[in-house]
Amino acid sequence: MSGGEGSFAVSDGEGSVVEGRGEGSFAEGRGEEGAVKSHGETSTTANHGEASTTKSHGGAPGLRVQGLTIRFGGNTAVDSVAFEAPLGRITGLIGPNGAGKTTTFNACSGLLRPSEGEIHLFGEDITGRPPSARAQAGLGRTFQQMDLFDSLTVEQNLALGLEARLARSNPLRQLLCPPAERKAVRQATEEVLEVCGLGDLRRAVAGSLSTGQRRLVDLGRVLAGGFSMLLLDEPSSGLDTAETERFGAIVTQVVAERGCGVLLVEHDMALVMSVCDFLYVLDFGQMIFEGTPADVRASETVRAAYLGSEAA
Amino acid sequence: MNDVLSFVVIGITTGSVYGLAAMGLVLTYKTSGIFNFAHGAIAAVAAFAYYELHVVRGLPRPVALAVAVVVVPPVIALVMERVTRGLAGSTPTTKIVATVGLQLALTMALVAHYGGSGLDFPAFLPTDTVELAGINVGVDQLISASVAAAGALGFFLFFRISPMGVKMRAVVDDPALLALCGTSAFTVRAWAWLIGCWFAAVSGVLLAPQIGLDALLLTLLVVQAYGAAAVGFFSSLPLTYAGGLLIGVLAALATKVVSQSEVLSGLPPALPFLVLFAVLLLAGRGRLLEVGEHRSAPPSPPLMSRTAARVVAVAAVAVAVAVPFLAGTKLPVYSTALVFVLVFSSLHLLVRTSGQVSLAHAALVAVGASAFSHLAVGAGLPWAVAVVLAGAVAVPVGVLVAVPAIRLSGLYLALATFGLGLLLEKVVYGSTWMFGATGTLPATRPALLAGDTAFYYVLLAAAVAGSLLAATIGRSRLGRLLRAMADSPTTLSTLGLGVNVTRVTVFAISAFIAGIAGALHASQGQSATSVPFTSYASLTWLAILVLCSGLRSAAPVAAAVGLVVVPAYITNATVVAWQPVLFGLGALAVAIREAQAAGRRGGEAGTATPAASRAGERLGSEGPAAQRLRVAAATGARRAEPGPARVRLGAGLTRGASR
Repeated sequence: MSGGEGSFAVSDGEGSVVEGRGEGSFAEGRGEEGAVKSHGETSTTANHGEASTTKSHGGAPGLRVQGLTIRFGGNTAVDSVAFEAPLGRITGLIGPNGAGKTTTFNACSGLLRPSEGEIHLFGEDITGRPPSARAQAGLGRTFQQMDLFDSLTVEQNLALGLEARLARSNPLRQLLCPPAERKAVRQATEEVLEVCGLGDLRRAVAGSLSTGQRRLVDLGRVLAGGFSMLLLDEPSSGLDTAETERFGAIVTQVVAERGCGVLLVEHDMALVMSVCDFLYVLDFGQMIFEGTPADVRASETVRAAYLGSEAA
Repeated sequence: MNDVLSFVVIGITTGSVYGLAAMGLVLTYKTSGIFNFAHGAIAAVAAFAYYELHVVRGLPRPVALAVAVVVVPPVIALVMERVTRGLAGSTPTTKIVATVGLQLALTMALVAHYGGSGLDFPAFLPTDTVELAGINVGVDQLISASVAAAGALGFFLFFRISPMGVKMRAVVDDPALLALCGTSAFTVRAWAWLIGCWFAAVSGVLLAPQIGLDALLLTLLVVQAYGAAAVGFFSSLPLTYAGGLLIGVLAALATKVVSQSEVLSGLPPALPFLVLFAVLLLAGRGRLLEVGEHRSAPPSPPLMSRTAARVVAVAAVAVAVAVPFLAGTKLPVYSTALVFVLVFSSLHLLVRTSGQVSLAHAALVAVGASAFSHLAVGAGLPWAVAVVLAGAVAVPVGVLVAVPAIRLSGLYLALATFGLGLLLEKVVYGSTWMFGATGTLPATRPALLAGDTAFYYVLLAAAVAGSLLAATIGRSRLGRLLRAMADSPTTLSTLGLGVNVTRVTVFAISAFIAGIAGALHASQGQSATSVPFTSYASLTWLAILVLCSGLRSAAPVAAAVGLVVVPAYITNATVVAWQPVLFGLGALAVAIREAQAAGRRGGEAGTATPAASRAGERLGSEGPAAQRLRVAAATGARRAEPGPARVRLGAGLTRGASR
């Protein structure tokens, strides 16, 4: 495994904040739970999954959703959906417009309260927790509309990915930045600038970037945060083919290096088919299919849902 | 029992007028996205117009009345529509500052022209009484209640049924979409402003005979209105009218109760705030969503390099050190200005750095001033200890109000703080907890530095320390988090930050500095008095600080000079009286300029997503209703037809399969 230079881990405990890691890349050191498995093992298998048709598609437990139901008034947007996104894998969540993908996402990151169902992260029930607590537990997300800090520079945007996480809900830590943390933030920022190829833009104001660059900054921000479970919301929308391929390559590389888990909501089938290990297909708020990209390709159900024909 | 009933009837008659005013406020807020703090000032303008035409110029009563409620409102409505367009898409803070500036300008113009004390407003309705269910009711009260009720009902039907009403509701949902359908959002909003101003004008003219012609009092009609609007969750018109009735009745009953108690005499005017506070506490987040999309202003480039700024700062301190040798008898003016440097530093931290608006800053300073007197003179604590403790006392006062509002949004924080300022001013200032019935308390200076010149240097040290503290916070992690929070609090929370803690923290720091400034103000004047700390002082301070914001971190110093030093050298009383008007207009102008800058930037950004759709889809701000609509629309579209998106997706799927 190719070790990123200047790697580090962020500890949730009060003790040592930053610890160097020999060759592992920067990832969550979740001291108290120990739920995250060694990243080396999982990352080697983080290639294109083969013919695993079972419900669980391997990997250490990451994000697990059970019986998720979300209603808006009388409208059921998401109907008892269940899926799993293990660590070290890229899991795809696809479906036509209005299938409930983003709604599911919002429930996972805590912006929406589900009507029913449970959400587990690394084996821990996080259903009732606010967004910030979920992020503290290692869940990061990007936004379809790339909600950047528009008045800050690219560098500051990336740094805030980690800084917000270090500051947590503690007034003192929000006020003061210990030197060790400052170093960690700088390191993480530099690393992400390199991984995402944003070095030339480091001093550019985020509000002035193109869509493709904004996507990368949005991704870079959660990468800098060192989250071990990433939710990426339609990262390719607004990107051209070359940009999409580059984005896919970065995500694949990061998963291989860090062993983190990725849940990808995507419209671009080429991207989904090439990077995902396992796919879930949503339609009208219901899970209509799950399987490897090969299975999904072969499935008549999925094709019918997408093309809108009732032909089987 | 009959006694109580008669208070209820009085309450309903005034409450009906409050309800009408509140409906106008909610309507304009919903259609324009701007919460009009100047709503009550518009009511006052109408009442004064009637007074001017009928009493001063001697025009016949019907003509004067017609001009006041028919001609004046459209003029103001046009101005408001211009302001709305100027503020399109700006941040909530900018919008609040703009209408607060307008409120200040209108009110102070009336005060400057007609004087601050109430004038007699001639009754224009018959003052006989009739007996209704065994209670004597004034005919004028009956008429005004009926006029208000008829207006409210008529408007409600208009809003529900007429095409313009439907368009108004559409403007609330999506102005851009409405424009695409061939209806100009401008026309619709102009109508909304017109109706809103009419309602305000009618309420002003109906209320003036009861409360007298006092610009400050009439302007506070907005407070009654926002209490009522809170009952309708700033959105439901019938509930808003009911809220008006509720507030009218509660205030009337409170008047009856407190007539036996000296301490609680300020309670009735503070009731709307208590209602608002209860709603903020009890309502869930989803209930109180802020209307309107926004984008933040571009970061302003520094005026000069950091080195140059340091040189200027050192030079300014050097000049300040020399002041005692130059100022002569005006030294106390400069001492007070130094206290205000601290006040404005704390306000600057809150308003400019963190983008939160506090309209209770004068009250927090007053808390510090009175607490200092109690601690230093009452409890006999050492001077320095008393100063620091006075700061500490202001913190929980500010934070207690901020906490329920902060979890909602900037607008509700502004409303809650404005209410807090009034509550403290009307109810608590006069109690023994603060200034007592006389309004003045003794205060001391440190024994060794009691001379004017020596104490000037004490204040200089405090002002420099406060400025350095503010600058340090701006560069600290908190400063970075605050700047990011101004852009997107939702994102920050998904990155792991407890954003409400951040907001409360900065509020607490600001309150602490304000409290210390209050203590120093009392110490400088050698007595603590409530006079300079009215709610209008809060508005004036905010306006002048915003006016100076072009000077970046030097703004607090410039604001203190503008507020304290400049008037001391102006001998012309008229100029001094009109000064707050200039501050208010200046703040409005600065707010609009800032909004324009943000708008230009939105156009330049070159991102494919227009701000409207970006904000519309912004996760944190998307209400349940919007979500529901979106889901329903998407589902409906898909059931009808395999839309283009679906075909595209299908194609992608096949392409993927063919690899």
